[in-house]
Amino acid sequence: MSAPVAIVGAGAVSAFGIGWRGLGRAVAAGDLQPRESALLRDSHPGTLASEVGEIPTALDAGNARARKLMSRAARLAAIAMREALVAAGFDERREEIGAWMGVGASGIAMEDVPAIVSASFVDGGLSLHRLGDQGLLACNPLFTFQTLNNFSLCHGAILEGLGGPNAAFFSRGSGTAVALAEAVHALRAGECDRAIAGGADTALHPVTWAELQRDGFSAQGLLPGEGAAVLALAREASPALGLLESCTAVAGAQEGAAAVFRELERLPPRADLVVIAPWGTPPRAWLGDMAASRYSGAAVVDVSLRLGDSLAATPALAWVAALDLLRPGERAVVLTAGVDGDLTAAVFRKESP
Amino acid sequence: MRAAWVNAVGAVTPLGSCWRETRDALAAGRCAIGSIRSFDASGFPSRHAAAVDRDFSGEDRRTALALEAAREAWAAAGLDRQPPNPLKVGVFVGAESGRLPFSTVAALARAGGPGPVLDHARFSREAVSRARDLDSRLVSPAAVAARLVGELGARGPVATVSLACASGAAAIAEAARAVRQGECDVALAGGVGADVDPLMLAGFGLLGALSASGVSRPFDRRRDGFVLGEGAGMVVLSCEKGIARVAGIGRTLDAWSLTAPAPDGNGGLRAMRLALADAGLQSVDVVQAHGTSTPLNDAIEARAIRDALGDSLRSSHVSSIKGALGHTIAAAGALGFIAAVEAVVTGTVLPTVGLAEPDPDCALPHVVGRAVSRRVDSAMVNSFAFGGANCTLVVTRPE
Repeated sequence: MSAPVAIVGAGAVSAFGIGWRGLGRAVAAGDLQPRESALLRDSHPGTLASEVGEIPTALDAGNARARKLMSRAARLAAIAMREALVAAGFDERREEIGAWMGVGASGIAMEDVPAIVSASFVDGGLSLHRLGDQGLLACNPLFTFQTLNNFSLCHGAILEGLGGPNAAFFSRGSGTAVALAEAVHALRAGECDRAIAGGADTALHPVTWAELQRDGFSAQGLLPGEGAAVLALAREASPALGLLESCTAVAGAQEGAAAVFRELERLPPRADLVVIAPWGTPPRAWLGDMAASRYSGAAVVDVSLRLGDSLAATPALAWVAALDLLRPGERAVVLTAGVDGDLTAAVFRKESP
Repeated sequence: MRAAWVNAVGAVTPLGSCWRETRDALAAGRCAIGSIRSFDASGFPSRHAAAVDRDFSGEDRRTALALEAAREAWAAAGLDRQPPNPLKVGVFVGAESGRLPFSTVAALARAGGPGPVLDHARFSREAVSRARDLDSRLVSPAAVAARLVGELGARGPVATVSLACASGAAAIAEAARAVRQGECDVALAGGVGADVDPLMLAGFGLLGALSASGVSRPFDRRRDGFVLGEGAGMVVLSCEKGIARVAGIGRTLDAWSLTAPAPDGNGGLRAMRLALADAGLQSVDVVQAHGTSTPLNDAIEARAIRDALGDSLRSSHVSSIKGALGHTIAAAGALGFIAAVEAVVTGTVLPTVGLAEPDPDCALPHVVGRAVSRRVDSAMVNSFAFGGANCTLVVTRPE
């Protein structure tokens, strides 16, 4: 990216609550404490997590009927999108607003699968014939809506009337940075004048958490989290919440640390604040070391210690935390390391008054 | 800004293990749709699909299909003999989640107890031991791109677009943008879908989107829904002059409904107008329509095509390969794009198989029966998704 893009609004949902102002400061102050997950209480009792609490009806996404169609990630995304759009004052010509989101693999309500399968058993064995016949009748007819990954983008877009250029990128971290970079490209190319970009996901689905446990992430310090965060962007605006100077994703699996270090060399030499979001203990060590050595003197805030890893939402939550912490005249570098081995790097600046 | 060129294509479909085989079958009006044989679908409301008759046991089906299509395109571009700078090679894949073997799904469900109510505690205790072949990394949407990156040794940008039925076209759009802006010099892009699966048949069946008759008839007055298909389409794009140019990209959201296009077709219409404007065109010779064979989509898309092209449509041809290949979901846009490239390169406009009695509401200059041969300077591809995302691409002949 060449010239910076203006951030004119933001929205977030996290364990901190609905909203992004104060999120970074709460994380830095250690005010947010992981708690036993209510979402995992039945399947994985006692799991500590960074979980979104009860959502007030007035601030929730859509109406009750619409929410039945939503995966949890889609619901959180819609809340964050609305907050960002309102904060940005993007009230008019919404059909021209672009939307790019990093999304996870949406999980269906756990109750649906056994309902289908139980209705599909004959004499103790599964019958696909019966699945196609009786199994469908036992199924929540809306479950398909929860399973399509792009619906984490589309629910919010429908509720908010967004009609511009768009894409949903599968993400366990890096796809969310790709989403932000694509939004900036679209603004630069004149494909749209205004856009939103962010990510939404939850690691608190029983299957997702079981996978993360089985793959060894929980044993290496991954705190499961969830949330959504969205930035509202404009090609130019004054005043702005901040300026986005660059955003990149590095697929670490390709070249390992070499690519990560090469990417770091491209980052600006000076930063006042470094926000890191490592998925667990191993990347916490090397990401923290790199941040401290490259940006000695800068404040380093590890948002994952409090917000956990929320997969596709992780980079976006780190961005809004950085925005909250940035002071006029300062620059922040946000580095995230996701469970796929990818690194993302975003650079923000807040202009002096 | 530099141009993004199409250098080569590759495809694996139920009609062929490469694009040439598929093209020849499509041109002859052959249809790939038949009774589902890979599992017992006799109880389902829809029992037909266009499936690739291959067993990829032990390998994720999406990855296997995409890999073959990618190898074909890569070799056709000559890049297997003269590999490009890895740092300037990008990979852009349209893909949704892969499908676990149904035996695994059943085992997982049984882990939750015998009754209709899930026993969460039992599930967490037993799920892993019961579902031994479960590896979520292999069925992740990103697994396909990761495998292709490894195959090509790519070191440039990588993205997995999960945009339902528009995924493949949107991935090509992202790749074209990356080439135009110099992020990479060469891009492998496309989409893959492998959704001929009990749960997907159940899911789309619940939506009422599938054809009860088991026939895909885009724009026909007897159409009653889409038929699931599977396959992969991959293209090599680059900054070096090739066989066709990605001249226009248009992307919009309907902001209307999760399953139905906006009644006025405005989202699709805007995508077409944006793509035409990006290409600097007001008309095209060929439209490769989204054309799913659902009552609503086809009528609304037909009207939007008429509105977008106006009187110029009289000298155009419109077709949909979904009549022969079914709806390949995340691969659909990529396969449609390849059909459009074929039209531009060889002048072969593939027919809409299954279309015999055009619906007056879908009045368009259809290609019926067999392929039409003509000079084609430009072709437009529509790809519209559940959720309301629309992506239109325009390809043109090299000047």
